[in-house]
Amino acid sequence: MVGHYDENLLSDMLPLYYTKYFPQNIFCRWLCCGCSPQPLSNRELSFTLADDVYLRYLSISDQKELQTLFQKKCPHKLDIGAVYNTKPSIARHDSVVLARELVFDIDLTDYDEVRTCCKEAKVCEKCWKFMVIACEIIDKALKDDFGFQNILWVFSGRRGIHCWVSDYEARVLDSPGRGAVADYLCLIMGGDNQNKKVNLGNDNLHTSIRRALDIIDKYFEEILQDQEFFSTNDGLKAFLKQIPDDNLRSQTEKKLEKLPESSLERWRNFISLYETYCRENGFAVRKIKYLVEEIKVQYCYPRLDVNVTKGFNHLLKSPFSIHPKTGKVSVVFKPTNARKMKLSDVPTIQSLLDDSTADSTEHQNNMKTSVKIFQEVVFSLEKAEAMRRKADANMSLEF
Amino acid sequence: MDLNIKRKSTKTVITGSLLETYPHDLQMYKIPPTEEIPLQEFETLALERLTLLRSLATATTLKGFRPFSDEWKEYIQSDLRNQGLKYYAKLCEYTKCGTDADLHARRKDHIAHFILRLAYCRNEELRRWFVARELELFKMRFMTMNSEAVDTFFRLNNLSYTNISEEEKLEIISCLRESTPYQNIDNMKFYKVKFYEVLDLVRSRKVFLNGGYAFIPHRDFVSVLSAQFRTHLRQSLAVACHHLGEIEQDERLVCLLKGLHQSYTGADYADTKAVVPIESLDSLSAKSYPLCMRQLHEQLRLSHHLRHGGRLQYGLFLKGIGVTLEDSLRFWREEFTKIMDLDKFEKQYSYNVRYNYGKEGSKRNYSPFSCLRIINETVGPGDCHGCPYRHCDVSNLKNKLQGYGVDPQAISEIVDTSKKGHFQVACSKYFDTIHNVDLGLGINHPNQFFEESQKLLKGEIKVEIKKENKINLKKEALDDLDFDDDL
Repeated sequence: MVGHYDENLLSDMLPLYYTKYFPQNIFCRWLCCGCSPQPLSNRELSFTLADDVYLRYLSISDQKELQTLFQKKCPHKLDIGAVYNTKPSIARHDSVVLARELVFDIDLTDYDEVRTCCKEAKVCEKCWKFMVIACEIIDKALKDDFGFQNILWVFSGRRGIHCWVSDYEARVLDSPGRGAVADYLCLIMGGDNQNKKVNLGNDNLHTSIRRALDIIDKYFEEILQDQEFFSTNDGLKAFLKQIPDDNLRSQTEKKLEKLPESSLERWRNFISLYETYCRENGFAVRKIKYLVEEIKVQYCYPRLDVNVTKGFNHLLKSPFSIHPKTGKVSVVFKPTNARKMKLSDVPTIQSLLDDSTADSTEHQNNMKTSVKIFQEVVFSLEKAEAMRRKADANMSLEF
Repeated sequence: MDLNIKRKSTKTVITGSLLETYPHDLQMYKIPPTEEIPLQEFETLALERLTLLRSLATATTLKGFRPFSDEWKEYIQSDLRNQGLKYYAKLCEYTKCGTDADLHARRKDHIAHFILRLAYCRNEELRRWFVARELELFKMRFMTMNSEAVDTFFRLNNLSYTNISEEEKLEIISCLRESTPYQNIDNMKFYKVKFYEVLDLVRSRKVFLNGGYAFIPHRDFVSVLSAQFRTHLRQSLAVACHHLGEIEQDERLVCLLKGLHQSYTGADYADTKAVVPIESLDSLSAKSYPLCMRQLHEQLRLSHHLRHGGRLQYGLFLKGIGVTLEDSLRFWREEFTKIMDLDKFEKQYSYNVRYNYGKEGSKRNYSPFSCLRIINETVGPGDCHGCPYRHCDVSNLKNKLQGYGVDPQAISEIVDTSKKGHFQVACSKYFDTIHNVDLGLGINHPNQFFEESQKLLKGEIKVEIKKENKINLKKEALDDLDFDDDL
C-alpha cells in the first residue's frame, strides 16, 4: 500500500484532498473553541511547503481564508501553534502566548531500546501495541486524575500518536503547570547512560502508577511474546542490567541462560526466582520491592516527549494533515478503539483520491468514521465552552 | 517594588504601632514599606539580607545539605549567628513574639526584602536566583511555625479552606493512603484544592489527584502558600523591572543597587574573545573538557550524530570556548554528513547551529548552559547529554572513567560523591584528577571548567589560580542548584 505512494505526486493530489476530504468546517470550529475568548485569527498555523520551505506565523479568520490559503500554498504539512494576544503575523516581537492546548507526543522511536521488531521510522502491528498502551494510560490519567474531558487523540501519520487536551483549564495552564503534569506522567527517566530508567521507591505505589500497571498487565505477556525482549543475548544482558541486587542478578543470569529462548518462560522463571529471593532475604527486599513493576514500566509504560508538553508554543502536526513521507492521513481515533485500530486501515491520500486502489472503499469509510469522531469531540467541546461562558457571565453579574 | 502601589498607599501610611503593622513573623510581602529611611540603613539592610540568602545557598551547594533537613537548618542558624545576624536567626526560628526586638526584626525583614527586589529584578537569571532563595526562606520559616502560628497566619492573610467531610474521606481513604507520603492518614483532616495550586506535589506524585483536585493534609499547605508566594513575587519582580527607569534617576541608589547584584553574578560565557580551531577539539576534549562535554564529543565522533538536547548543550559550549560560527558549521557538517547527505544537513541542522549563535529565530545570543541547567535537563531514551554524575548509572560512570585511565582511588571518590548527589563536587574532583592537582574548585559552569583547565595547562602561575578560586566561591551564590524554581 505504501509502495503505491509517491511523494512527488503530493503537490498534484493535495489541492483535491484539501477541498474534498479535509474537514475544514469542523477543523475551524475546533480551533475557534481552542482560541476562545481570543479570535481565531490569533492562532498560529504553520505550513511546510514542497522542498521543505517553512512558513511560520500564518493565521486565518474563517474557513474561507483557510481554503484560500490551502489552494494558494498547498502545504505538504500543516502544524498548529499557540494563541497569541495579537494576530501572529503582526507585531511578533512583543506578542505573548495566551493559550494553547495541552499536548502530548508519543513516538515509537523512543521505544527503540526496547522494541525488537522495528527500528527508527519503521513501525508494524506488533510495536503499535506500545501506542495502544500509551494511549490508554494517558487518557485515563487525564480524565480521572486531572478531570479533563475534551481530549482528542490523533495518529501522527507515521510512527506515533498525539493527544490534544482542549479543556479551558488545560489551555491556559502556564509552563510550570505543564511541566508538572508532564513529570507526573513520566516514569521513565534517563538517557543512554542509564540502564535502569525506572525507580518506584519503596513506599506505597501511587494510585496512578498502580492503575497504569493494571493496564500494562493486560498486555504484558502478549507483548513479551511479540517482542521476545529477553530471547537474544543482548536482550538478556539489557534485562539483567536492570537488576540492582548483585546476588539476584547472578542467580537470574545462571538460571535464564540455561532456559530455552522463550521470553515468556524466562520472565516467569525470573518472577519465581525473585519471589523466593525476597522470601529468603527479607533484609534486602527494600531496595528491590517493586523490581517486577519497575521492569514492566521500563518495557511498556508510555515514553512521552516531555519537551513538547512543557513548551507553551511548541508546534504540533494538525489532525487530518497528510504525512509527507507516508502519504497517510493523521486520522482522529477513539482511545477506546485504539486496540482494534490497524495501521493498514489508515487512509492514505492515494487510496482516498484513486478509486482503483484496493483499499479505496474501505479507506473512504474509515475517513468518514474518523471525521465523525472528530465532530463528536468538537461538539462536546462547544457545549463545554458555552457552559463556561455562561458561568463566567453569571459570575460577573454577581459582582 | 510596585511603585504604583507605593504611591497610592502613601496617603494611607500606617502610623499605628509596629505590632499593628507587623502582626506576624512571616509575611507575604504584599504591601511595600512606605516610611523614609536613611541611605546608610538602606545599604546595611540590603547587605544583611544578601548574607542571609547566600547562607541558604551555601548550605545547599557548598555544604551539600538536603534543603529543609535538620543539618541544613542548623548550618544556617549557626552561620547567621556567626555573621552577626542574630535577628534573622531568631526570625527563622519563629519567635512567639512580643518583644520590641522581634518587632524591629520584622520591620527589617520587610524593608530588606523590598530593597533586594529592586536589585534582583534586572534580568531573568537574577530573578530566578532571588525567587528560589526567598522561596526557601519562606518555606523554612513556615515549616518551623507551630499550628497556632499557622492558624493566625491563615487568618491574617484571609486564607480559608474547609476540609472534606468524613464520608467523602472514607470513600477515597485507600487512595489517600496509597498516594499521600505520610503515616496516620486516618487521623488527618484533608482539604481539596485545584491541582495547579500544588504543582510541586503533583510533579513528584506526592498527592492523590481526582477529577482535577488534589487532596492534601494540613501540613501540605506549605505547597499552596509557596506557590502563591512564588507567583506573587515573580509578578512583582516583573513590575519592578518596568519601573527601574524611574528609580535609576536617583544616582545614589543606582550605584548601590547595581553593585549589589554585580558582585555576585557569575560570568555567562555568551561572548568570548578566544578563538579555538576545531582541529584541536579532539585533544582539548581529553585535556580540558568536563566529563559532560567529553562524552558528547566522543558520542558525536562515534555515531556522527547527536540528538537535539546534545546538540544544544555541546553547541553552546563550543561557542563559549571560542569556536566561531563558520568553524562550528563546518564541524557539525563534517560529522553529520558521514551518515546523511549534505542537503539534509543544510535543511535540518544548520539552522540550529546558526540559531545557537543568535543568527536565526529570535536572534538572541544564547549563553552556554551552566551546571545548574545541565543537571536539571530532561534526559530521555537515546539522549546522552545532561550531567554524567547525575545521569549515568554508577557502573557506566565507572567504566567511562576507567576507560580514560583515571586512578582507581579517584574513581571511587568521584563515584561516591556523585552517588550522594554532590554532582558539582564530583566534577571538581574529576578536574583535580585529570590535572593532577588539588585545587578543589567550585565548578558551576562547564566553560569555567574549560577556562580554568586552560589556564593551568598554559602555566599561568598558581597564585593567580588560587585568587580565581576565591572569586568562584562568591559566584557560587548565583549559579548553584535551585531545583525548586522554574522547572
